[in-house]
Amino acid sequence: MRNNAFSSRQIGLSLAALAIVVVYALPYIYLVSTSLKPASQVLQIPPSFWPQTVTLENYTRILGTATVPGSFANSVIVALTSTFLALVLAVPAAYGASFFRVRLSIYFMMFALITRMVPTVSLGVPLFTILKDVGLLDTHLGLILAHTTISLPLAVWLMSAFFESIPRELEEAARMDGCNRFQSFFLVVLPLVSSGMAIAALFCFIASWNEFLFALLLTADQAKTTPIVIAEFRTAYGLDWGPMTALATLYSLPVILITLLLQKQIIGGLTFGAVKG
Amino acid sequence: MKKTTMLMQGLAAATLLSGSLHAQTLNILVEGGGEMQQQAIADAFTAETGVEVNFTVVPYAGVFERLSTEIASGRSNFDLATIDVVWNAYFAPYLDPIDDLFTDEVLADLPLALVEDARVDGRYIGMPAWANAEILFYRTDLFEDPAEQAAFRDEYGYDLAPPTNWDEFRDVAVFFTRDTTGDGRTDLYGTDVKGAFSEEWMAHVLQAGSPGVILDDDNNVIIDNDEHVAALEFYVGLHCEYQVSPGGVLETGWAEAQNLFNQGNTAMMRFWGHAYKQIPEDAVVAGNVGAAPMIAGEAGIAAIPGPWYNVIPSTSAQKELAREFIAFAIANNHLGIDSPLGLAATNSAYERYATEPGNEHYFPLMETLGANATRGRPLHEDFQEIVDEAVLPALQEALECRRAPADILSDARRWVEDIL
Repeated sequence: MRNNAFSSRQIGLSLAALAIVVVYALPYIYLVSTSLKPASQVLQIPPSFWPQTVTLENYTRILGTATVPGSFANSVIVALTSTFLALVLAVPAAYGASFFRVRLSIYFMMFALITRMVPTVSLGVPLFTILKDVGLLDTHLGLILAHTTISLPLAVWLMSAFFESIPRELEEAARMDGCNRFQSFFLVVLPLVSSGMAIAALFCFIASWNEFLFALLLTADQAKTTPIVIAEFRTAYGLDWGPMTALATLYSLPVILITLLLQKQIIGGLTFGAVKG
Repeated sequence: MKKTTMLMQGLAAATLLSGSLHAQTLNILVEGGGEMQQQAIADAFTAETGVEVNFTVVPYAGVFERLSTEIASGRSNFDLATIDVVWNAYFAPYLDPIDDLFTDEVLADLPLALVEDARVDGRYIGMPAWANAEILFYRTDLFEDPAEQAAFRDEYGYDLAPPTNWDEFRDVAVFFTRDTTGDGRTDLYGTDVKGAFSEEWMAHVLQAGSPGVILDDDNNVIIDNDEHVAALEFYVGLHCEYQVSPGGVLETGWAEAQNLFNQGNTAMMRFWGHAYKQIPEDAVVAGNVGAAPMIAGEAGIAAIPGPWYNVIPSTSAQKELAREFIAFAIANNHLGIDSPLGLAATNSAYERYATEPGNEHYFPLMETLGANATRGRPLHEDFQEIVDEAVLPALQEALECRRAPADILSDARRWVEDIL
């Protein structure tokens, strides 16, 4: 009897969760649905949620566009490299700030937080000037550095929260067992925050993957990323919904794939320290 | 010996010069689609001068953001930019004047409205690259149907034809608004009414004979003059009183109106001329679309032009080369006609192709662009803000059919004055 009641509650919760997911995912489902509609149905009035005729013409059209494969490759290169760079810098920085409680580390963390508060748009002109001076406009490296400025403070704060959860005694025990500072960091502390690194990596990747303003201002032909190409479907005389939604759908797939691949680590990271104490 | 040395030096110099010329590249900032509009011109320019032309394509709004950033930084990657007319006034202080490129020959070949939009504070700051305007699209299968023609004549006492003025437009729109399937619901409308953009209403304002839209030439606010009121009464009347447009007018913009027409839901559409070439093959109306000049009011035919201008940013590193390209582009303006938009700026370019099949919209477009009452939006740097904050809200309130257009425009006047 009690089992049945529990099952009903579970079913109810599951249905509620499903309803929330459906509502949340509705715009995305509509995006995918629109990408499968022929031109005459895209803006049909009254609108239809599902395509009456399924077609891949929008996909074949965008894949035949010269700029799309190149921009996709640029997005991958920039997002992966800036994520890697952000983690390489953020992990030791957050470790230092968390494990060595000196006044400077507090200032450092505050400064990292303040950089997150500066509106990105205000950095556009200075970044443009700097990158032009050093010859990095419209290069992968230039955009990677720009994106790293966005994701680095985020990664530092995320990672410092995970490092804070690591008992200092673990590192001290490792030191007593003969590890030096680097060994205790790499062999003992770092594996414990691997789920945190997965989360930080995912956030950094998404931040770079979807970034628009810097990509618009700092690239031209060689390093243009896909968000810019997606926006180009809006012109002064209208919006080409079919190809735009097709490209947006394709562009969303890598993030979905990465999220699924890192699902275990992400859940581990999100519940990290939840049962501590 | 001396001669040989000089010859060798001359050859070396010529080789170096030739090398540097071949390596020269002109960088142009342009909106997505704009590069196709100018690609043929660029190819011909390269063939004639040896200078490569590189288009950097950005999204529509990106042209403004990118050019603003480059100008603010004091250094530009672009020798030339192709910008929407709505940004001419804003960027004018940061652009090089090109008065000498507006020769008598060029001036004679351009519609007057495009020339006026090119001049800010008494100097020419941009050369039209291509231009567009709203014309009238109509369904030939309906207009040429003998049964429809007879029924229309019986009801209105004159022949069914593409309307040329407000009264005819309203009559035809009312006539075609009907339930074609017999289910009790209207499924064919006379036309659309766009509540998401204000350019169409502004065109009617000019047709009514206003000396300008929203502001006059001295930047006095005229949004509530008699012509603005009459145009708004006509425009909202189509929706509120005669109900000749599909519902959802506040959300109806360019794309929605175009789709309504292509699906066969409207019998007529006022729309940008380029749409004639963009009717999908599987559209209900494909093969049955006619084009006519924009309708006329008291002052005759009028429209708000939608031109794009080639401008030289003051930060350009190759100003002379940019000027050379601009002169070449306007002299060879017809080369852009083969682009997907199929647009040009000069009369001669349109005339050259207007009689070819598929270009039936060119004469109506030329007539509309060249009409005496056709003129651009005010070249005021705050005009876009005025549109967003005062004009569009006023139009949308009027389309809610609750208040009199005159009262709404009277309120809008105060908003515009506040912004100014």
